[in-house]
Amino acid sequence: MTAPSRSAPAETPAVRCRSLGVSFGTVQALREVSLDLAPGRIHALVGQNGAGKTTLAKVLGGLQAPQTGDVYIDGRRIPPGDVRAAQIAGLAMVHQHFSLPPSFTVAEALELTAARKGGRSFFRRSELHRQWQNEVAELGGPTMLSTRIRDLPVETRQSLEIVRALAGDARILLLDEPTALLTPAAIDQLFERLLRLRDEGVTILIVLHKLREVAAVAETVSVLRDGELVLGPREMAEVSEGLLSDAIVGPAFGTDRTISMAPAVKPTQETLLELVGLSSRESAFELGLDEINLRVESGEIVGIAGVEGNGQRSLVSVIAGLAPVAEGTMRLGGVDATRTGPAGRRQRGLRLVPFDRNTEGISRSAPLWLNQSALRLVGRHRWRLPLISLRQYKRQAAEDMDTWRVRYDTVAQPAESLSGGNVQRLILSRELSPGLEVLVAAQPTRGLDFSATDFVRRSLRELRDGGAGVLLISSDLDELFELSDRLLVMYGGRIVARFDAPYDRRAVGDAMTGAQR
Amino acid sequence: MEQILATTLRSAAPLVLVATAGVFAFRAGIFHLGLEGLMITGAFTTVAVGDATGSVELGILAAVGVNLALSALYWWVIGPLGANVIIAGLGLTSIGLGGTAFALGAIFDTRGSIFTDVVLPRPVRGITSGAGVIISDLSILVWITPLIVLAAWVVLRRSRFGLRLAAVGEYPFSARSAGVNPSIVRLQALLISGSLCALGGAELSVGALRNFTENMTNGRGFIAFVAVIFGAWHPIGAALAGLFFGFADAIGIQSQINITERVPREFVLMIPFVLTIFAVWLGGLWRRRSLEAEAGYAELREPD
Repeated sequence: MTAPSRSAPAETPAVRCRSLGVSFGTVQALREVSLDLAPGRIHALVGQNGAGKTTLAKVLGGLQAPQTGDVYIDGRRIPPGDVRAAQIAGLAMVHQHFSLPPSFTVAEALELTAARKGGRSFFRRSELHRQWQNEVAELGGPTMLSTRIRDLPVETRQSLEIVRALAGDARILLLDEPTALLTPAAIDQLFERLLRLRDEGVTILIVLHKLREVAAVAETVSVLRDGELVLGPREMAEVSEGLLSDAIVGPAFGTDRTISMAPAVKPTQETLLELVGLSSRESAFELGLDEINLRVESGEIVGIAGVEGNGQRSLVSVIAGLAPVAEGTMRLGGVDATRTGPAGRRQRGLRLVPFDRNTEGISRSAPLWLNQSALRLVGRHRWRLPLISLRQYKRQAAEDMDTWRVRYDTVAQPAESLSGGNVQRLILSRELSPGLEVLVAAQPTRGLDFSATDFVRRSLRELRDGGAGVLLISSDLDELFELSDRLLVMYGGRIVARFDAPYDRRAVGDAMTGAQR
Repeated sequence: MEQILATTLRSAAPLVLVATAGVFAFRAGIFHLGLEGLMITGAFTTVAVGDATGSVELGILAAVGVNLALSALYWWVIGPLGANVIIAGLGLTSIGLGGTAFALGAIFDTRGSIFTDVVLPRPVRGITSGAGVIISDLSILVWITPLIVLAAWVVLRRSRFGLRLAAVGEYPFSARSAGVNPSIVRLQALLISGSLCALGGAELSVGALRNFTENMTNGRGFIAFVAVIFGAWHPIGAALAGLFFGFADAIGIQSQINITERVPREFVLMIPFVLTIFAVWLGGLWRRRSLEAEAGYAELREPD
């Protein structure tokens, strides 16, 4: 057991922090957070985006030095912002972003990150492999030791992160949103593994997003909101789901008024977007497409499920006209658009909410009004001189942004000054403009908090009800199940399965991992 | 023709040493454009201190010292001060080229070049075979350069320090999460890099020649930089690339001696550079690996 209770009555908490405070500029990320975690249990930490979960995890792991407050592990104070000291005290972290360098082999990566003492400065490759073969035995045996990290599937990378974390005899494991990239089956496996570790006496703190997952694995739960701990570690048995979600969202929940869109109304069913036997070459970053067949009709939301990196980015690029088609045809509104450029496709009613809103969705340093007006600059007003009235553009942009409730100070401020949710609203205010026929929305709610997520989902539904077609690409199964009229699963650059509602979570999950049924 | 081998080795040794220096910096994620500057300060300091003390060893020691100080300065500017790596590197090169030219005037009261009596030992006078002299008159640094390359390979590919260095260059977050301070590792890499540049410069001034001339490196630091990329950031690859560029240089020198009467001199002088461009183009065709390395570069950005 980890913490043999030295003082008999009160067990020393495995992790204790006292009045932690962290601020970035004017933003207070953590405010007076004090928390005790009992040893040998699984603790969950939940909260909205920006509530300070990751910051708290980083402070505990020593990656971020707090401005105020102290962290104690097994009763001993840890110097602030010292990863090494936290590791030696027995705490290991599994990060939200994978922490192993992609070009390293598995053995090299383990050797790099393991906090082992007394390792020799120089090594032979065979020696290295011998040392690590036990650790990776259940992940695929010694042959995988010379595999490069970037060639591993996401689940294996995740498991490897845990192997790495535990290699240094860690007694406290900190997991920061480990389920974000995993399929349902892999999440179950992860949880089983955590329960086993708990039984061996490891204390676990896991940051989670979904209440369903909290209920599945955690014994106690704590809630952060706006950097404050609003619900201390409470036994799961004592809290109801309603209590939790109230604690997460907070009392004054500002509701958005609904926005009535007026898309081109299509009384009859019509195929808006159609891909026939479409293939594309692979790029340095993403698989190519392999004979994709799909159609999006008016008044429906077609969902694309799949583990990230299975060709979804290529699909969006190809549809947007940003990546070339190798073979096959793409039609927009029944007309061949395979050779049409991005601007031409926009004019035919294609709209896009891209994967990475901060790099693909906006021009970060350009002012808000220019970002908002970008579509109006494409090909319209041919009959006029190619001159624009800045005043008119700015006024129009301000109107549209107000309609979509983008929070901003002036239309001249750079787009990068907006928060994530506001950037997404800005993009929607631009893309969901008149003339829209079909919308391709890639991960439209990733990283958004509850109210913004709700807002985006309602907007997509309204769009569909107004007769537009939506292609929704997401790695969030709950979102897909909630919104999609039909669901396609991508794996290895192909569409491997098609489902109709109601959906079977297990079957969809299997298809996502490429399992044959 | 028998001279080609010796000339190749003599031209290649400084390139290989500086390319190895570049590999250390590159692997730590620093696009080191100050190699040229560190090379010439190494060449100058060896001559200046060596001449004053009469000891070539002290000269090289001083050159290493000067380069350690300059490398630490470079680290301070690009690290704690956050200056642009490329511009600071070019600045370092300017300091080296201009500073040595200035010091030449200030210390020796002369312009152009100075000659010296100190010279690196030449352990092997010459190896001859039936056909004639094969290798002659190479400095000790040329002989130990392969050992240095081998040592660099061991340190970079078979040591925990090498793993930390590569992690810092490829994905600093992974180093941080492993409890490594990326800034310190970058400093270490730059110090090693600076020392190797000093050796490369010394070989140029007191190994292959016995003088220091203004701008005598003549772009060799940049060619070494190309060799690093051509060699896919690998110590052995970069050394082979350096050897190849040395060979190209040797062909230029030899043909200059042999055929200048028939071919304009300028054309002959172009040969090494044309070969360099050709080799880089060829390298791009061969290897997709370098593309991957560049793709990896994008991940330098730390996730938050």
